[in-house]
Amino acid sequence: MMTALPIIPMAVGANRIIRGVRVEHVCGDPSLSETMDRALTRRIVETALGALQTAVDGPTLFEPAEPSEAREAVHAS
Amino acid sequence: MDSLVRVVHYLNQFFGGIGGEEHANLPVETRGGAVGPGRALKQALGDQATIVATIVAGDNYFVEEEQASAQSAIQALKQYDADVVVAGPAFDAGRYGLACAQMCKLAQEQGVPAVTAMTDDNTGIITYGNDVVAIATGTTPTEMRSIMDRLAPVALKLGRGIELGPADEEGYLPRGVRKPIVRERVGAARAVDMIEARLTGQPFTSEVYVKQYDDVDPPAPISGLSGKTIALVTSGGMVPHGNPDRLGSARAEGFFRYDISGLDELTVGEWESVHGGFNTQWLNTKDPGYALPLRTVRQLESEGAIGNVYDVYFATTGNQTAVTSAQKMGREIAEELREQKVDAVLLVAT
Repeated sequence: MMTALPIIPMAVGANRIIRGVRVEHVCGDPSLSETMDRALTRRIVETALGALQTAVDGPTLFEPAEPSEAREAVHAS
Repeated sequence: MDSLVRVVHYLNQFFGGIGGEEHANLPVETRGGAVGPGRALKQALGDQATIVATIVAGDNYFVEEEQASAQSAIQALKQYDADVVVAGPAFDAGRYGLACAQMCKLAQEQGVPAVTAMTDDNTGIITYGNDVVAIATGTTPTEMRSIMDRLAPVALKLGRGIELGPADEEGYLPRGVRKPIVRERVGAARAVDMIEARLTGQPFTSEVYVKQYDDVDPPAPISGLSGKTIALVTSGGMVPHGNPDRLGSARAEGFFRYDISGLDELTVGEWESVHGGFNTQWLNTKDPGYALPLRTVRQLESEGAIGNVYDVYFATTGNQTAVTSAQKMGREIAEELREQKVDAVLLVAT
């Protein structure tokens, strides 16, 4: 499950938990550019798919990886 | 001298002495007096009450033919002028437990109090636990005598129109009902006592019952997702624009299915979140996908990273949802997914 408040499912006993962004926008971030936002959604979903393929013993939190090229393009003007 | 309490006893086809599973479709029959385990009940009731009739029905019949069985049961209650109904005990038999609970509900709707007995996790309790008075039992009929000894006092009280005390005093399963009472000492003093007891390892009784969550064993991981079917579920209250099914913005008791076959993404304006627990502006003006990332999942599908996306997504609102409602929804969704051979679920919880 993807959630912005992983402490809750950890306590309740969900087993594969992926950290999302915020309650209002769990799977992305509207403050980013569209490209970066969609890349973030992709990382979150891919982390979830990875979790489905990972053995766990109990409630386990999976953190989406930091983007390798997270910098916004900077334009000199 | 109190007049005798008139008890009507409900039994299934087995305890009613008709037969086993092959008679599970037995329509409702009513006999005068006590039958089978009713005799143990009669003994436990002593000279305070009389079992005026026993209603017997097949486990399948009573839960499948609700209308017909309700009619027959109500007729019997009137004919025999019942003061109270005792149903079961059903032990851990699910259909029987459900039938007993239904019988109690029916009786209560007719103004006749009722009590039943079954295991605390019987389907009857899961479905109607808060609506009926039930004594907890184990699973073996060898306890019959002691169960009847516990049922009798409750039945007598109910039959005499006496209000039952708290569950732990009268010996029935808690129904989540809270009644205001006055205690001798103020709450602050009682709370301090409880903390002291807790810190020194002394026993204490909480005044508020907190529902425990069940432990779920993690399913084994899937090896490789290409070729696998993934279903999407959201508690973000995401529904088609206009909320055609009137999904509630809080305290949802159920979920809805929405067809996404052939759909590449959820677009603003065509879909909306009705969740009443947070600001839905991002979902409704920027991207519904934040609560149901269909676009991304479709990309992965077209790349072959996953096999395919299940035809519908499941939507509810995760705002003040009762734990029991959530459990029920989870069970129903899981049942469908299992039947449809879905391999995994992505659940956006918010």
